Amino acid sequence: MLRSLRARPETMERRFSCTACGKCCHGLLPLTIDDALAHADKFPLIVIWTPVRQGGRSFRITADLGITIQLKKRKLAAVQIAPTAYIPPTFSCPELTADGLCSIHAVRPQRCRTMPFSAYRDEKDQDDLMIPRSGWVCDTAHQAPVVYRDRSIIDRQDFEVERAQLVRDAAILKPYAEWLLDSVPSLGMELQKVAMKPAGGQLLVAFSTLIPRLPKVDIFAFAEKQFPVMTAFAERTAGEAGLVDFHQRYVDSAAEWEKVARGRS
Amino acid sequence: MRSRFTAFVHGDLDYIESTHAEEVRDDFNRSAAESTVKSVEWVGLEIRDTSEGGEDDDTGTVEFAARFKKDGELLVHHEKSNFRRQEGRWVYVDGKMNPKGKPRRVDKVGRNEPCPCGSGKKYKKCCGA
Repeated sequence: MLRSLRARPETMERRFSCTACGKCCHGLLPLTIDDALAHADKFPLIVIWTPVRQGGRSFRITADLGITIQLKKRKLAAVQIAPTAYIPPTFSCPELTADGLCSIHAVRPQRCRTMPFSAYRDEKDQDDLMIPRSGWVCDTAHQAPVVYRDRSIIDRQDFEVERAQLVRDAAILKPYAEWLLDSVPSLGMELQKVAMKPAGGQLLVAFSTLIPRLPKVDIFAFAEKQFPVMTAFAERTAGEAGLVDFHQRYVDSAAEWEKVARGRS
Repeated sequence: MRSRFTAFVHGDLDYIESTHAEEVRDDFNRSAAESTVKSVEWVGLEIRDTSEGGEDDDTGTVEFAARFKKDGELLVHHEKSNFRRQEGRWVYVDGKMNPKGKPRRVDKVGRNEPCPCGSGKKYKKCCGA
């Protein structure tokens, strides 16, 4: 009886084809470290810390790619540490052209290449990602090719490339996160607070905290790229009622990077 | 260790880099250190604790608090650093920021035991009263 209730159809297939509607080219974009550095002259960069509580579907993979923190009552939270293009959800990617196409398609970030899949999640946990979100016009009808069958990705190449990069980044991001938590005790307390919230949440951390952990990055050259980007986004969000937080962060970041850039001897 | 603090105060990054243990030299972001050094004004160094690091030792730790001003705010960098003797010279290996102190031990005194103040009276008749 139970077995028959639990039985699933023999095959589960998802069809998907991108129509280049550009709707997924909006809002926050998590990036690998290399992609963030390569596009530092285009995207306003921050590091987003997102706790995932024990029991959540992505707990294991998030713990493997990020860190875990101790919560009250012997509970753990995994924390995703993601370098991110900090773009308001109502804004399109700065590289999306007026005709709705990507102007950096040949060198676009790996996150864009792997869509609609996500290497931040288990391969078996991708099913909902092929359901177009409200307003998106992805082709999922019967003429679109099958891209996901029985919880396996058919063309795995981009997923695997992205996952390999995330694993490589984890070797930098894990010690970075532990070091920053030691250096800034208030960060741990804020992380606890966010992790305990039933609705969840994120902490936005300045990208400048990550630079000392990236030995090959010249912070002065990086600051000269980020300063104009932050300034441009501060101007574009000025006076936008719903984007007060975004605007303030761009203003603060611009001031910080300007100061660093001026420090070059 | 004090010489490294002095080098930070003078912005002598060559010295800082040359006193890093060889295995951590590749992890050092010199430009970021340079940027930090330029944005702060050092106020003072306080050595809080040391262990080993003597003439017969090959390793040593130093716990210190370095006070500095950044954007007019007085801040403190508290770290417990590990050093190693490499070709006769002390080099910096790594450090733990804001190290936690040893847990404080609390001894309980029974009400009927002699008072720890040394009066000879029972605790309950003396300090515990």
